[in-house]
Amino acid sequence: MVEQAATLDVGDVGAHTQADPRAELLSESEFQELYRLHARPLWAYLYRLTGNTADADDLLQDAYCRLLAIPFATRDDRELRAYLFRVATNAATDLWRRGGRGTRRSEPLTSESATTADHGDGVALKHDMSRTFRNLKPQERMLLWLAHVEGSAHRDIAEALGLKAASVPVLLFRARRKLAALLRKKGYGPGER
Amino acid sequence: MLNRTCAQLPDILSAVAAGRERETLVAAHLGACPSCCEQADAISWMRRLAAAPEPPRPLPDPGVIWWKAQLLRRWQAERVAFAPIERMHRVELAAGFASLAVFLVWQWRGFSTLVARAIPAGVAAMSTATPPSNPVVLALVLCGTAAVGAMVLAGLHRMLGRNHL
Repeated sequence: MVEQAATLDVGDVGAHTQADPRAELLSESEFQELYRLHARPLWAYLYRLTGNTADADDLLQDAYCRLLAIPFATRDDRELRAYLFRVATNAATDLWRRGGRGTRRSEPLTSESATTADHGDGVALKHDMSRTFRNLKPQERMLLWLAHVEGSAHRDIAEALGLKAASVPVLLFRARRKLAALLRKKGYGPGER
Repeated sequence: MLNRTCAQLPDILSAVAAGRERETLVAAHLGACPSCCEQADAISWMRRLAAAPEPPRPLPDPGVIWWKAQLLRRWQAERVAFAPIERMHRVELAAGFASLAVFLVWQWRGFSTLVARAIPAGVAAMSTATPPSNPVVLALVLCGTAAVGAMVLAGLHRMLGRNHL
């Protein structure tokens, strides 16, 4: 993982970075605070994208390593969070491009967890939801999660996914429609709000 | 699957995102408009997915990530510092090969005589059918010499490179 991260370039780092003379690297305490605030939601996002806890761990580490590699002029929490999600999305895309598609590498539902008496149904339902979500394309998963769980603006989503801002609503509409069709097929039924 | 979007979709999406889907007007529209209804269903389902508990797994240790990031930064700085030296090594090697090629072309005649003299009498006698000035033989001999020269150069380059580091 270290070698892999070492070869990853920092990528598009936005307007508040190296070019700005006030830009500084994050201190350890700033990093700890950012980690405390954003690591769990970022991990959840990566886990839903990849369906694999090990990949989610690796991508999370990559994202924070990239964050620590470049100086930032801003300490604005929202911007740093957007940056984290952006680099994590890029890292996940790199992972798929290298051939490790999340759909193939997703972890199976273990018999242990599925048959646990008190949690069995809940685990099975959760697993079914995760599997349904992984039936979507990676880009659709990213779009839906960033828009409807993270509540990211279309502009931020476009930056994270390397799209034009104008195409985000269209792609989101299609992704939602596809998800709705999948849900109907899986028997979740219309109007389950 | 519905192909047409509803004109009220942006408002409906905002309402659903804000959790106001049960409001009378919104609910009435969702009941009447299948396109908006399926979009709202997708959003609601995404929220439920996000609320579903993740595997009970501790996050990677932030101390390890901090240490790893420092290490990566140091490697990156070293790579940047050594980049000109690496480039010069490649230039040295290319210049060495070019010099060898120029020398061989320049000394072609003298070299062929030297090779012809160096061949022992027995070998020369065996190859009476192919005189030493035969261009194919000479080319082979020269290629061999060039290969040996290249190996020597590569060896020197490695030694010099190791001394640099």
